[in-house]
Amino acid sequence: MKVRELARRGTLWLGAVVLLAAGGEALGRIKLTTLPVRQRVEIQLDNPNATLVEEERIVTLLAGTNTIDFSWSNTAIDKGTIQFRIVDMPTRAKKAGDPKMIVRPDGKVELIQVINASYPPGENALVWEVYAERPFAAKVRISYLLANLRRSFNYRAIAEHDESTLVLRNYIRLDNLSGEEFGSSGVWAGFGKYFQREIGLNEAKQMLAWKFTKVPIKKTFTFDWWKGSPVPDQPYQRYVSMRYVLENDSAHNMGLFPLQFGKVRIFQKDTHGGEAFTGEDWGKFTPIDDEMKLYLGLARDIVVKRKILVNRRQPVHGNLYHQDVTLQYTIENFKTDGCVLDIVEDMNSLRNELCGHKGHDAQWEIARDGTTVPERARERKDSKTLILHVPLEKAPEGAAKVEAVVVKVHLWLRNEW
Amino acid sequence: MKTRKMIMPLLVLALVATVAVPAPAKNIDLATVPPRESVQLTIYNSEDLTLVRETRSLSLKKGVNRIQYSWANTLIDPTSVEIRPLEKAEQIEVLDTTFPGQKPQHLVWNIDSKVEGQVKFQVTYFTSGISWSADYVLIADKAEETMSLDGYVQVYNNSGEDYENAQVRLVVGVVNLVEKIKDLARRGLVPPISLGIIADKAEVSSLRRRAAGAMIARAEMAAPASAPAEIIKEGLSEYFIYTIDGTQTVPNSWSKRLVSFRARQVEFDILYRLRPHQYGARPVRFFILKNDKEHKLGTTPLPDGIVRTFRDNGRDGLAFLGQQKVTYVPVKADIELNVGTDDEVVEEAKQLAVGRSSFVYDRHQRVNGWDETRKVSEEIRNYKAKAVRMEVRRIIDGDVELDAEDAKLHDYRTVEFTYDVKPRDKFSWEYAYTQHLGKNARQNRITLR
Repeated sequence: MKVRELARRGTLWLGAVVLLAAGGEALGRIKLTTLPVRQRVEIQLDNPNATLVEEERIVTLLAGTNTIDFSWSNTAIDKGTIQFRIVDMPTRAKKAGDPKMIVRPDGKVELIQVINASYPPGENALVWEVYAERPFAAKVRISYLLANLRRSFNYRAIAEHDESTLVLRNYIRLDNLSGEEFGSSGVWAGFGKYFQREIGLNEAKQMLAWKFTKVPIKKTFTFDWWKGSPVPDQPYQRYVSMRYVLENDSAHNMGLFPLQFGKVRIFQKDTHGGEAFTGEDWGKFTPIDDEMKLYLGLARDIVVKRKILVNRRQPVHGNLYHQDVTLQYTIENFKTDGCVLDIVEDMNSLRNELCGHKGHDAQWEIARDGTTVPERARERKDSKTLILHVPLEKAPEGAAKVEAVVVKVHLWLRNEW
Repeated sequence: MKTRKMIMPLLVLALVATVAVPAPAKNIDLATVPPRESVQLTIYNSEDLTLVRETRSLSLKKGVNRIQYSWANTLIDPTSVEIRPLEKAEQIEVLDTTFPGQKPQHLVWNIDSKVEGQVKFQVTYFTSGISWSADYVLIADKAEETMSLDGYVQVYNNSGEDYENAQVRLVVGVVNLVEKIKDLARRGLVPPISLGIIADKAEVSSLRRRAAGAMIARAEMAAPASAPAEIIKEGLSEYFIYTIDGTQTVPNSWSKRLVSFRARQVEFDILYRLRPHQYGARPVRFFILKNDKEHKLGTTPLPDGIVRTFRDNGRDGLAFLGQQKVTYVPVKADIELNVGTDDEVVEEAKQLAVGRSSFVYDRHQRVNGWDETRKVSEEIRNYKAKAVRMEVRRIIDGDVELDAEDAKLHDYRTVEFTYDVKPRDKFSWEYAYTQHLGKNARQNRITLR
């Protein structure tokens, strides 16, 4: 396999071997080898778990059986996935007395056929035997799964200074640690733009898959007693988190394709023509019509204190009881603008705190008396999550003190024991 | 054979002495090495087992002929080696078989012949180290309405022996073996003569070169108009046997892959399945077809093997959808291929409310029985340009009463919903179920209201 050794400088090698003579012993053989160059390379990144590489080469075939040697080194090709296909397969009408040829559904006979593939021991190689009815310069497409040629996604968003809209750029990054240099290659992620790029060895290439403009920003402020960060020395407080929520739908100038998992970096325009970095988060996989929530940081100008004012047990029968609970939230908005604060309560956690851990979900309802939040501002997100949407006015200009908003919720935790 | 003998000890058939009374030579043997005239490999995929049948011609003299047979550095089961004449059988008798204690992988037959001259014999034996597997390549068209399905068989030879120009037969089926051929082959070997140690590195390299040469030489010798080997399939008891047309050369340590069948324009259905307990939280997509004539298949069962699934990506290339091992598919049985999740089809479930009722108490007035009612909403969102069908299965354990339209029970604890969703549309439904818990639980099953 002298030729294969010569080819070790490159990592992938395809040789069409035309045998001229052979001795009586199988050991020696003189061969003429053509080294067909790649005409085209396509890197298919649409599968998140595997990268498919397709390459096209012109292989000159003689009439009869041809041996085509495909070998590689320093790359991790999945040997079992290698496919050999003829592009624009030459055909002719079937004739009486034809040998066992592949007949297409339209009755035509394929003139080039792969007879078999052999895998030599201890080598990253395979040898195809290909039959050609007459000489051809055949365009062949060889495809295989290749490890360490990975895709990832990331996003960069630039928000307007007033945070009304942003421009979201979706980048695809290709890390080529496969050990192979591909030259000019087509790159397709299954959505967005199709790219033709030089992909070098150990090179990472980042490409703009799509740019979404004028994407409305929904900015949320969330007080979550159960998941929020504690405030030092303030047992009744948790920090308020600030998020951008991007709706992946056409009404919000997106919705062209699902957004893949990736890091999102958010910048905001300043008043001097520049930008400031305002935070980053991992954006989860977001199907169309879903929302991508991005936690950017803390909103420390909103201060919330939570107290349990009432925690009373009302017996029903035997050991069955209802738990009468009143929560109070005292909110101070030190921001210079108004906003809506989302107060999140996990009812299972609340029940566990007040009634002890149970093996069942909390059954709960909001009582009319003693609840100051109007019904339209209460959202029962699911069976265990209550969200209160509390509007906050901006602090009046010139006021010496910020007026606190006090919100009370009267709850019944039903049928516990 | 000469070449191979130089590389490493292999199968050698030797006519040692032809005297009327068996009188083995002590140290000096005269041996003739009759070549193999034909060889047939019948390879089983359920066990590491291959039946080798070879024919050789021996020149016999009248009286007892002493025939020596050895198979160093191979994986042959010595208990399986058998010789029988293919001609003049009534005049030739195999008297006995001797396994000399001092020579492993070696036997001597005493054959009594009433005739003189050349006689064709068949030697059969089991060997391990040769195996085969099936695999399939499926390429769906861009619209995912039809597919091409190519089946392949791949033969692996790690037996220690080169098989040139062998007729190859592959058995699909599960046969019972009480002892492994590999163990039988190793039994009685002196430890230093390990089967794993064939030769030094240079020798192995030389062997590879020669084996490669043999492969290429075969290509050279092939008739200019040779075509792909056909694979002939036939039933055999509870098994199926594939016979590869013509002969194949599979040198030791090589493997060879051949086309088993090609099917074109095969129609198939697509079904999405959500089974969190089986496939995870997201719906997975299945390509479903049948191994029958209507689907341009059905000539034979499909052996166990990996199916690699691709789709025409509409950009003059392929998209890799996934690979999956399928188990044996009988004729007329369904083939279900899981091609993974689909970003364009979403299913979401939400538990809306929980309520408890129907309390019962023990003698201490403690709750020991109750009912718990849950209201659930589910939604399928289809962003594809074609309609989809989705089957949702959910397990609800315990004594359950389910109130849902269109629900059917898959088994005693699994409820199933199947809906068609139009292109770029959504479909949602709600249902409620009550679990009887504690003392209220009378049984373990779902009852549809």
